Amino acid sequence: MSFTTPQFVIAKKLVVRAQDTQVVEPDLDAVESSETDSPWIVLVWNDPINLMSYVSFVFQKLFGYSKEKADSLMLDVHEKGRAVVSSGPREKAELDVFRLHEHGLWATMQQDS
Amino acid sequence: MKRRRHVGPIEPVGDGTFVINLSEQDRLTMTGFVEQLEELLESDISDPRLRRLFPVAYHDDPERNAEYQSYMSDELRQSRASSIATVKELLAHSDPISEHQLHGFMIVLNSLRLVLGTLLDVDESIDTDDIDETDPLYGQAQLYGYLGWLLEWTVSALAGE
Repeated sequence: MSFTTPQFVIAKKLVVRAQDTQVVEPDLDAVESSETDSPWIVLVWNDPINLMSYVSFVFQKLFGYSKEKADSLMLDVHEKGRAVVSSGPREKAELDVFRLHEHGLWATMQQDS
Repeated sequence: MKRRRHVGPIEPVGDGTFVINLSEQDRLTMTGFVEQLEELLESDISDPRLRRLFPVAYHDDPERNAEYQSYMSDELRQSRASSIATVKELLAHSDPISEHQLHGFMIVLNSLRLVLGTLLDVDESIDTDDIDETDPLYGQAQLYGYLGWLLEWTVSALAGE
């Protein structure tokens, strides 16, 4: 799969952030780094339009999940209204959200608490 | 010519490629819908018809969401334009297509369903099959059903089922 991905945008952001961290005060730096270190979770929300088979297939394709795991996540979305489909650093979560949006899934992210 | 058993609209050829079995008329009709989607994508992303194609990314943080949209919405628009270009090209002929092209076809079919479903205000309690011929939305409901049928076949073909 080679759909347009925003990796270069994220790479540019990382450069900007690296430059920013060099000039912030140490205490702010600690805040910034703890924020960066805390994992982010990617949620997919239920949407009555998307087909169940399609949602499961997208999970398998984007995240390499088995059919069983993808079906189980899809059913969680359908029955519970949402499911956590991936997690990681903010940049990875943003990329996952983007790829899910490319496929028309209603994905959002938030910092894990 | 050997008589073939009835096959679905998306047929794996066996060498990793696929054939889309649509009549010339269906190809033209689909191309028309894809062109309408292409035109719609030129609208501002705040257009309510596009809300499912450009969703929020940070549901609990409007500031971060605005930042995300400022650098990602154009990427998303370009990605959609690229899939649409792929689909217009593959609908113009009946030659076998690659898995990558079929994946683009799947994304575009789903995008069309998302826009139509939004226009029809589809929710869990509404079955578009119940919209009868006298309803002004009948044509759109029929198309919505057709796209769903074609999408199911596309997913099955890509999943190797």
